[in-house]
This record gives sequence, structure tokens and C-alpha cells, in this order.
Amino acid sequence: MIADLFFQTLVSYLSMPQMWGLAVLGVTIGIVLGALPGVSSTMALAILLPVSFGMEPAQAMLFLIAVFVSSVYGGSISAILINIPGTPGAIVTQFDGYPMAQQGRAGQALSVALLSSTVGGFIGLALLVTLAPLVANAAMSFRSPEFAMATVFGLVLLSFASGGSVFRGILVGAVGVLLGMVGFDRLTDIGRFDYNTRALQAGIELVPVTVGIFGLAEVLRNLSAGPQGIPRIPPIGRLFLSPGALARLWAPVARGGVIGTFVGAIPAAGSAIAVAVTYAQEKRLSRRPEAFGKGEPAGVAAPESANSASVGGSFVPMMTLGIPGDPITAVLMGALLIHGLRPGPMLFANNPGFVAGIYVAVFFAIVLTLLVGLVFMRAFTGILRVPRPLLFTIIALLCVVGAYAIRNSITDVYIMLIFGVVGYVMMVLRLPPAPLVIGLILGPIMEENLRRTLILSGGRWEVFIERPISLTLILLSLAVILSPVLAAGWRRWRG
Amino acid sequence: MKRRHFITSLAGTAAMVGALGMGLATTPAAAFPDQPITMVVAWPAGGGHDTVTRLVTEFLEQELPSTVVVTNVPGAAGANGVRQVEEAAADGYTLGVLGLHATAQSYMNENATALDRLEPLAVINIEPAALAVRADTGIESFEDFLAYARENPGGIINGNDSPGGFSFLNAAFIENTFDIQLTKVPYQGYAPTVAALVSGEVMAATLPVPMLADLHDAGTVRILGVAATDRHFRVPEVPTFEEMGHDYVITDYVMVFGPVGIPDDRRAILEEALMRAMSGEAFHERGRNMGLMLQPGGADDAAALMATMDDLIYPIMQDAGLVTVRAR
Repeated sequence: MIADLFFQTLVSYLSMPQMWGLAVLGVTIGIVLGALPGVSSTMALAILLPVSFGMEPAQAMLFLIAVFVSSVYGGSISAILINIPGTPGAIVTQFDGYPMAQQGRAGQALSVALLSSTVGGFIGLALLVTLAPLVANAAMSFRSPEFAMATVFGLVLLSFASGGSVFRGILVGAVGVLLGMVGFDRLTDIGRFDYNTRALQAGIELVPVTVGIFGLAEVLRNLSAGPQGIPRIPPIGRLFLSPGALARLWAPVARGGVIGTFVGAIPAAGSAIAVAVTYAQEKRLSRRPEAFGKGEPAGVAAPESANSASVGGSFVPMMTLGIPGDPITAVLMGALLIHGLRPGPMLFANNPGFVAGIYVAVFFAIVLTLLVGLVFMRAFTGILRVPRPLLFTIIALLCVVGAYAIRNSITDVYIMLIFGVVGYVMMVLRLPPAPLVIGLILGPIMEENLRRTLILSGGRWEVFIERPISLTLILLSLAVILSPVLAAGWRRWRG
Repeated sequence: MKRRHFITSLAGTAAMVGALGMGLATTPAAAFPDQPITMVVAWPAGGGHDTVTRLVTEFLEQELPSTVVVTNVPGAAGANGVRQVEEAAADGYTLGVLGLHATAQSYMNENATALDRLEPLAVINIEPAALAVRADTGIESFEDFLAYARENPGGIINGNDSPGGFSFLNAAFIENTFDIQLTKVPYQGYAPTVAALVSGEVMAATLPVPMLADLHDAGTVRILGVAATDRHFRVPEVPTFEEMGHDYVITDYVMVFGPVGIPDDRRAILEEALMRAMSGEAFHERGRNMGLMLQPGGADDAAALMATMDDLIYPIMQDAGLVTVRAR
């Protein structure tokens, strides 16, 4: 029945020019806002929320979902071209996207991001349509102990997958975890490592750190190289990878899509976690882990698929339970409620037309993001032809704006500046910056869930091995840690 | 809407230019407000406070000649946003919204704003506490709940905020008032708490009604009572605790406030505009759709509500050892 309604709604939307207009408008605004550093998908939606008050419910839904879906892709544009993630979901895209752009493959990076976003978006939508109740159940069986062990697994993957020195990766990752502890303790609301200063009580935000450590540090590196030292970007060649190279990205994209959907469906997880876990996993699974961080297309494809798939995933708890999966769906839910549309457990029975409307809006938004993205791709890469002194000045400016805008706090600008210097020093010392960001994402979640699990179990650690998913994650982590040792032992034993 | 802003500001600019040209711009306090008003929300975009504020702002702009810009300044359990308003110039151009979190933080955090540094302007809505359990616990009524808790001290696993949050204070209030002991498990906000209740990680939750109403209708959870003087319109069949004979009324709220010292005439203009903005049927309909218990009230109502809840939660916080600064 939902399928019938889906096609009916789709056909009726397609026959209405105003729906086309709204969707194209939403997608264009979404890409631009997403690409602006500091304007997250959440903020883009919150800003446009009042605009939607005057629309019909179906129009408002289409418009806002178009903004949501396209802003996720928009975030990757600034990540790839200027090394600053436009949205938290694009936080790992620049690890490989920016190096690709520096090698004259900006078009390829953008097209890989766009195509992966499209496929990931469809994976998320397909799982939402077909398996929403199942995904909701699976996400519900993923509670504090599983969360804690999943983040442990993510950190283990990351450390052991760092190209070059494992210990450098672990060291930097541990610093990231420590940074995540600054500010109010998540369980007791007591300040930690804040020296009772106002500046540190709010904690160290992910976005200023990332903007500083990647964006500003890159500006500093180019400054220090002097006018002659700045490497020229080779002319932008083909916009697309060869069909063969694209075909090889299927597996990372598919894995990213499934992980993204699932993580998106877990309330309060969010796309930053989805991309962090996906990236670490792809690096681990790749036959060329050393290529990651130096312009490996899979390092762009998998996270971009994951963050777009998490859109579909984040609709699962909203539509099955009536609770927002993340801040973005919270804004969306607020908008729907204002229009008298109440997502929740009664939705499928009471208002299937509304359900179909959401599916069609997501579908429409994905397709239009692809089209608009393709049309403007060549224009986006034009940014790189801006004279370099001017470009770096603009980037430095955007770093400041982006760091400020995320919480309207000047403290975040100082944090960004400090991490700009830290990032530059790390470059000089050849320490990988990626583990720091991933440690900062995963550390607080690991700590919160670990401690909550122990509150729930009355201090018994056995819970982690009594629950099957948690146990599996522990065994996987152990396998990753022990595999080099075992492999070495095996080789020695074989002689 | 964007265009309307543009036109208003264009018209404003034109008027200013015209006035200057004619040499008439001599009275500085001509018309308040003649520049954009900032409304600070101490929580992230998309949260409960944010959505309510954007709704009110939408209507407030129709009552004022200038635009109203919502600015999110999250961090430190709401303390940062409140402080930003406290420290702003008291010219009426910087306002904010706050809830019970400001009261709690004022006793917990040296850097948080003291309540007497705030000037309440208007109440938007109240959010009464409620108590819900999973349907499969077999707990049918509040009496069952109390009996269960007395038989098994700490046996009720309750999902709530971290200390200082409203649902934590509500849980602590139940413990104090009815002399029982709960295992209070902290979550970061309401949505994760609901998820924990649905997944069975916790068996009870001290959340407000709107987040639980649908799950209550679906039969997954059972709301045992509402801690307000009136029943909640979303679940009219659920009695209030007062009806059950218990003195248990505790409510969170969202109110508009400003820094201390806004000139009286400006404060009056703002208060009146807020009250007009919240009087229309369209506003009430949207608010109801969002599950909000709208209770528009002026500055006096706001101050009274804040004082009542302050008196109510102070002893709870003291018992829980949360009062570390500005003890009364």
C-alpha cells in the first residue's frame, strides 16, 4: 500500500510546477548553506524553519527535506576544495578529498562525493522504506553497553589503521579523547579540566578544532612555504573517475551506506560518528591503507555515502517512535508539529499519505541534489583558480566565521586559532591529525556510555560480555589488536 | 518572510536617511525598537527551547517595527547563553529565553548567572513534569509505583537528565516527597531518555508529557500522572497528582527575559508586544500542535513562576548536594 501511495504522491508532485520550484530552491539553498563552514545542516534547517510556516504542510516538508539532504552533500564541497568541513557530517571527507583536489583531481573528488552521496542516500531511503521497523528494533537493541564497545572498536580500528607508525596514531587519538573530556561531565554536569574558566566550561567543540587543525593549519603551511614554495595545483583534468575506478568504490559505498543508515537510526548518535567509524573501517579493510589521507577516493566515497545514508536512518526513530534521531530531525519534527503533522508510532496506521510524502520528498531531494550538483560541479572547482594569496585569505576568514557561527562564541574562534597552530606543528612533526578528530568524536560517547552501563549494572563489568552484540564488538576489537601479533607468530612458526 | 525583513529594513533605512536629510534626527529616544532585537537561546538549534522561541519570534515580529533574530549560544547546561544576555547592554535589544535550568545552574556553577541578575519579561509556556513507566513493568498506577519502590529500594531504574536538569530534579523531588529511592540514570537530553525507555534500558522516566504522549497512546509506556494543577490536553485521561491527593506540582517553563536595568518604557513596549504576539488563535493552534501547554503571562507572572519553582527546587537541590555556590 505504501508503494502505491509512494508512486501516486511522486506522480502528483511531478505534475506540480510549484513542487519542482520549491525542491530546486531547497536543494540550491541547502548546497550553499551546507558548503558554508559553520552553518551545519541543523542550522540551515533552523534558519529556514520560519520560512516554511507560511507553506502548505506538504510543501514545507518537501522544502525542508530538500534543504536537509542537499546540505549534507554541500558540506563536502568546502571539505574537498578548501579543507574545511561545511557540516559536521563532512568532518572526515577532507582527509582524502583535499589531497585529491591538490593533485588536480578536485572534479573527481567532488563527483565521487556526489555519486556516493546519491547512492548512500538511496541506500538510506531504501532501508527506511522497507525495513524501518526492523532497523528501529535493531537500533533499539543497541544500548549503552553496545555503544561503549562500538566506540572502543572504532578507536581500535583507527589506531591500527593509521598509515606509518601505529604509536603516533594512538598517541594523537588519545589526545583527542582527552580533549573530549574538557567541560561539563556528561553524567554529573560537573566541570572538568576547565580551570573554572567560562571559556572551557562549554567544552571543546568539534567544529572549531577541525576547522583549525585542517583549514587554518593548511593556510599556515602555505604561508611558511613563501610565495615560491606554494605548490601549483595542476590543471583540473577529468571530472569523473574512470568507470573501472568507480566500480571499485562499490564496496566502500555500500558498507558506508549500511553503517550510515544504522548509526543514523540510533537516537543521539549522529552523522559525525557514522563517518568516523566508516572511515576507520575502510582504512582498515583497504588493501592500500597507506594511501588513505593522501587522496584515496574510497576515503571520500565511504564517508559521503554514510552521511547521506544517515539521513534516511535518522528518519527511522522519528517515524516509528516519534523521537528525533539527531538535532537535524528534531528541527524537522518541530516543523512538522507546527503544521499539525505528528510523527510517531501511530503514523503508519493513521496517516500513510504523510509517510509516503516523506519518502517522496527524500527521493526527490536526492535526485535533484545529484542534478544540481552535476550542473554546478565545474563552477565549484573554479574556486581553485582564484589566485592563491586571495584564496588563502578567504579561507582564513572562513575559518574564523565558521568557528564563530557554530555556537556564536568568540571562545570557539580562539580554540580554532590554537588548533590551527597545533595542526601546523603536527604537520611539521608528521603526526597524523585525523586520529585527533576521531578521538574527539568517539571519546565522549565512549566515556558516557561506559559509565552509564556501569551505573545500570551496579558496577559489574560482566555485562559487556553477557550481551551478544557487545561481546561481538569486543571480539572484533581483540581480533584487530591481535592479528599482527598472531600473523607474526604464524610466520615465525612456519619458519 | 526574508523579503519582508528586507523591505522593513529598507524602509527603516530610507526613513533614517530622510530624517537625517531634513535635520530632524535630534530626538535619540524616538521610537523603540528601531534596530534588530537579538533573542538568545541557550540551547542548540532544533531543541525544545529553540523551536518555541522561533514560533514566538515569528509572531513577535508582526507586533514590532524591527526584526527579531534568534541566536543560539549553547554550552555549560545553558549557563553560557543566559550569561550572554546578563552581560549585554540593558537597552532592550538583547533578550533571551530560559527555563528552570537557569535556576538550577545558579546554585551549581559559580560562572552561571545569579537569578537577581535577570529580569523576567513574559512566560511563553509551562511544561509540567510527569511520570511514566514501561507498560510491561505491570505498574498500573502511581500507588503501584510507590509500593514497588518501597519494596525494592533503588529497584526502579529511572531515566533522567544529568543533575540539575529538569527531569533529574523531578526524579529527586519524587524521592524526597514520597520517601523512596530510585536508581537515577543520566542521559543527555529528552530524546535519548525516551529511546532508553522504549528499548527497556530503563523502566521509568520522569519526562514531560509531549515526548511520551504518542508512546502512551500506542500502549508502550504508561503515563501515571501529571505534576500540574490541570490535566494535560495531550493525555486528558491521565489524572494529575493533585487529584490523587498528593502535593506534587512541579513544572518547567520557557520565559523571555532580559538583563537587569532595561528602561521602563522599553520594557513595557516589549512586554506588551510579547503578550499581543501570544494572544492570536494562529499562535495557539501552532503551539497546541507542538504539544505545548501555552500559558502566556506578563512580567509579574513570569517573576512569580520563577520564584515559586525556585522555592520548590532549592531544598531538593540542597538534599542532593547540588548547591555549591550562592547558598541561600
